[in-house]
Amino acid sequence: MPAQANQPLPEGYQLLNYRLMRVLASGGFSFVYLAHDENDTPVAVKEYLPSSLALRVNGSAAPLVSDENLPTFRYGMKCFFEEGRALARLMHPNVVRVLNFFRANETVYMVMRYERGRTLQAHIQEHRGALGEPWMQRTFVALLNGLREVHSNKLLHLDIKPANIYLRNDGTPLLLDFGAARQTLSHEGVRLPPMYTRGFASPEQHAQRSNLGPWSDIYSVGASMYACLAAAAPQPANARLQQDRLIPAREAWAGKYSDTLLELIDRCLRLDYLERPQSVFELQKALLAGRRPAPPRHVAFLAQAKRALLRLARRAH
Amino acid sequence: MRYSIFHTSRIGARRTNQDRLGYWRTSAALLMVVADGMGGHLHGELAAELAVEHCAGAFRRSARPRLADPGAFLLHALAGGHAAIVRRAAELGLAETPRTTAVACVVQDGTAYWSHVGDSRLYLVREGRLLARTRDHTPVQRLIDAGRIREEAVPSHPDRNKLLQCLGGDPPPKLEPANSASLTKNDIVLLCSDGLWGPLTPSQLLTGLLARDLERAVHGLVELAETRSGPECDNVSVLALSWGEDEVPAARAQTYQEPPTVAQDFTATEPDFLRTSDAEIDRAIAEIKAALRKHSRNP
Repeated sequence: MPAQANQPLPEGYQLLNYRLMRVLASGGFSFVYLAHDENDTPVAVKEYLPSSLALRVNGSAAPLVSDENLPTFRYGMKCFFEEGRALARLMHPNVVRVLNFFRANETVYMVMRYERGRTLQAHIQEHRGALGEPWMQRTFVALLNGLREVHSNKLLHLDIKPANIYLRNDGTPLLLDFGAARQTLSHEGVRLPPMYTRGFASPEQHAQRSNLGPWSDIYSVGASMYACLAAAAPQPANARLQQDRLIPAREAWAGKYSDTLLELIDRCLRLDYLERPQSVFELQKALLAGRRPAPPRHVAFLAQAKRALLRLARRAH
Repeated sequence: MRYSIFHTSRIGARRTNQDRLGYWRTSAALLMVVADGMGGHLHGELAAELAVEHCAGAFRRSARPRLADPGAFLLHALAGGHAAIVRRAAELGLAETPRTTAVACVVQDGTAYWSHVGDSRLYLVREGRLLARTRDHTPVQRLIDAGRIREEAVPSHPDRNKLLQCLGGDPPPKLEPANSASLTKNDIVLLCSDGLWGPLTPSQLLTGLLARDLERAVHGLVELAETRSGPECDNVSVLALSWGEDEVPAARAQTYQEPPTVAQDFTATEPDFLRTSDAEIDRAIAEIKAALRKHSRNP
């Protein structure tokens, strides 16, 4: 059967100690619900439900999985576990926090802290190419703090894209959806099916997965920054390997953003992984280096006036 | 927008044709509606007509030339159709509110949006394969969904004509959020009453649409449905669209959309690794929970 839209669990459904309020997001592999726990604390509950393998239909909470699909359904479950394993170890303000993980309705669920805000994808949709340089710097430097934590746990995210970057209402970013995350050292992780998004995945993810490394996530960060400016995904890496038609950021937005930022985006998007920043730290340093050095003149004048007043006050004492 | 549309509505072996259909367009949007007035209730055709007219009126008012939100438009139009039927029944002092099914589809920006009530259906067919179909609001569909009967057993099921939802019914219909899909060249969107799909098997319907010429395909299907149902033949109504444009490329689409995450080689793995026992699942969950406990001492 072709992929059919699956039905979410109904509003008000009691899933262990969580009461489902509404669907927050749905994708090919899962539903994410807003739910309230027994203390009425809002949480986000992610349900493993690949629509090509498991069909939920009227009136039954457990999805129908044909005998033929059952092995693949369970195999996909392993990826979901991999996500749980990855996130359980990560405690960082810029990484989504997992609270619980359990089995029910013949599938598995992951409970995460609910954050108010929206995805970077929605933010781009609304602003369409009108994201300023200070905003880009602030957001990506903070996001990279989260990614640094991921990498220092010997994990790669491997699916960084605006839809998987969440912006809290206060503007701080958060890395979401570790469904593609793989432990670089675990044998099982390597054997699980690679997952990626065209346009954001590095060339290594399409071919030569033995070359995966922090630079692969860095490619995706570059692609996400590019998408912020272009309001469109860059040309997919495998197509670029055939014929590179990606217009460098340096050419596309010259004069609208600093050369430092545009060059950095282009450097992240290099096809040869050795030419990209090799670590998140290196990338962060480069991003911060692009911060405008001299403050605007009227601010400098105010600062001078403030200092002069303080001097006067000190002398008066 | 480039497309072609064919439609036909036949009375079958009934005394009246209680099906109504229609389509309306602006330079940027298209609305198609099929409604099947319920024969068991009086004035079925009145309900069908009111539903279709209401949708058309709403479309004329809102599509200038685009609809701001096609999904929301469909829900409002169908809900408004229900209200219009109830209102008219009261005006005419009818003892029973006339009822109808309805399926409606909007095409805008190369994307089809649809919603339905009852057992009139929408099929989205790409290269002879079923991409999507509405799920009937019927007890029989529930049985199919629960795996208790097969799709092929529907024509002989005693409850095949019962509906769980309709416009004009009491309680009012619970509308589901509209579905949508982006269209690509030669996609077929087919709206029909149960007079068409009822007598046909799913594969007959799909093969019937393979014919190169959509008009001939539609007439062939209607004739096949009439032949197969014989003297019992219900009203048969079809509205079919063949899409004539290539898919809207993501970068030029109206809203910024990202491609979805895909999994590579999901099945191409040695069978041993595919197998996962219940015990393994429980072990994985226990591991994750242990890790959560270890790392969240200071929540």
